[in-house]
Amino acid sequence: MSIITTERLCKYFKGKKALDNLNLEIPKGIIFGYLGPNGAGKTTTIRVLLNLAKPTGGTAYILGEDIRKSRNYLRKVGFLPDVPNFYNFFTAREFLSFIADITDIENPKKRIEETLELVGLRNEKSRIGTYSRGMKQRLGLAQALLSDPELLILDEPTSSLDPQGRKEVLDLIYSLKSTKTVFFSTHILSDVERICDRIGILKEGRLLLEDSIENIKKRYWKRRILIEVDDLEKFLERIKESLKPNSVEVKNSSVVIEVLDIQYTLKEIPKIVVQDGLLLEKLEILEPSLEDIFLEVTSGA
Amino acid sequence: MVLKLIKKEFYEFKKTGKLIAIIITFLLFSIMSPITAKVMPELIKSISSEITIIVPPPTWKDAFLQFFKNLNQMVFLIVVLLFIGSVAEEKNRKTAGLIVSKGVDRKKWILAKFFFQISLVFILTLIAFFLCYYYSVILFPDTNFEIPLQSCILFFIYMTFIVSLTIFSSSLGNNIIQAGGIFIVIFIILGILNMFPSIKNYNPIYLSSLENQWITTGIKWSSALKTTISSIILSILLVSIGVYLFNSQELE
Ligand SMILES: Nc1ncnc2c1ncn2[C@@H]1O[C@H](COP(=O)(O)OP(=O)(O)OP(=O)(O)O)[C@@H](O)[C@H]1O
Ligand SMILES: [Mg+2]
Repeated sequence: MSIITTERLCKYFKGKKALDNLNLEIPKGIIFGYLGPNGAGKTTTIRVLLNLAKPTGGTAYILGEDIRKSRNYLRKVGFLPDVPNFYNFFTAREFLSFIADITDIENPKKRIEETLELVGLRNEKSRIGTYSRGMKQRLGLAQALLSDPELLILDEPTSSLDPQGRKEVLDLIYSLKSTKTVFFSTHILSDVERICDRIGILKEGRLLLEDSIENIKKRYWKRRILIEVDDLEKFLERIKESLKPNSVEVKNSSVVIEVLDIQYTLKEIPKIVVQDGLLLEKLEILEPSLEDIFLEVTSGA
Repeated sequence: MVLKLIKKEFYEFKKTGKLIAIIITFLLFSIMSPITAKVMPELIKSISSEITIIVPPPTWKDAFLQFFKNLNQMVFLIVVLLFIGSVAEEKNRKTAGLIVSKGVDRKKWILAKFFFQISLVFILTLIAFFLCYYYSVILFPDTNFEIPLQSCILFFIYMTFIVSLTIFSSSLGNNIIQAGGIFIVIFIILGILNMFPSIKNYNPIYLSSLENQWITTGIKWSSALKTTISSIILSILLVSIGVYLFNSQELE
């Protein structure tokens, strides 16, 4: 069963298509990375899904409910806003106990302590007004997790965390995988690569790509090899005639070639090296990084 | 749910010092009113010792005229200032969106604010009245109880309208400045309309002059009936429209 399904979802702002016929399907129990450059429409998607903004066209189903007709599903969703802002006069504990109160959480005291522990704010006793951005993001995560929701929607959950905090939060999100579905938007590609099962790439309101990370890597897999030898010019001449590469790219003292048959190439290169008496300094098969794919997809369209 | 949300409003007022500010304002002016009424003529006399002006001796009526004048000026101002941002600032700071995204009904969220504000004003007005009455009796033993109490009811109806108007303005505006602007514009329009005798009777603002009128000439519900009814209808309308507007707004 899909947890989120959007059907031709559109959101227009005065002449601007922030979302254009978005069709998404997010199965249960996965971590979904929602990628896109600034202004792509990620936050807009989230606002529509949470009933904070109305779709101009199309609809979405969350946990089986039509978002245009029902708001009951909101009780089963945890949400972390992109710029977390809470009541400054509360302490973290007081704020969570207010949230627990209005969302009818059972055994609130225990749950609040657990959640504060989880996000590392257990010992924080000051008012929220004095918090740093990263601390607010942690508290944002805490209030999203408090009711133990089935679906978590996180808008750039790691954007203002330090490296240590980013790792902790990613590990935390990853640990939820077995029990929850997580939909999170980000532009930090390494985060996505680390924990996501599937990703979607959005640009100017349109979904350009949606698949599992494996499939995407396979699809964008390029047979690229990086080689460093002592006499580059001689080497280049030789490979051009014997290997007929698709492309040759020289960077400083190394060369990156793209070939059709990687097995054959890997057998041929040592031969060339031996025959010409060259010194092979480096040979590396290049995997495409998600960043390359992201840049290729978003600049191509 | 509404009660839980009211609890939060109360807590917010307590924590941010708004509660103490509003309490002090009410108490200060209720105690000051009878005292001012008593010493004012003396003061005027002492200032102008050259010429003798004849000032009639003050009565309990002066105490309560002073009381209602203060309520309609300083207290009114503080109430509006403290309440005007209630919805708008939460929209601006995005806390409104956060709470609503948890499945909290938008209508209840607004109504909680309304009921909190109305109850606070009601309780404080009542306390202020008794305080003023207490000091008035000390200074003017013949102080009437009935008349100022009923004037207080008029003031309370008037404040119901004003709180409804702040809720409306706040629901419409996206921040405290916009909300304040909307409030002021509507209030000025009502002030202008109050100059036309034909519709004056239906204008909630007229209630504030009736309060004083009753103190000087006695209670006359028949003259306040139209104004009372139209104020209540307008209040219900304003809050309903405010709820409706907030319901159809896009939040962040
Ligand atoms: N309330 C609004 N009124 C008008 N235009 C809006 C509104 N909200 C968003 N937009 C526009 O819609 C587009 C998508 O914005 P959105 O905030 O969804 O982008 P995003 O993908 O979240 O970007 P970022 O990575 O910077 O957070 C932008 O061009 C933005 O200007
Ligand atoms: Mg965004």
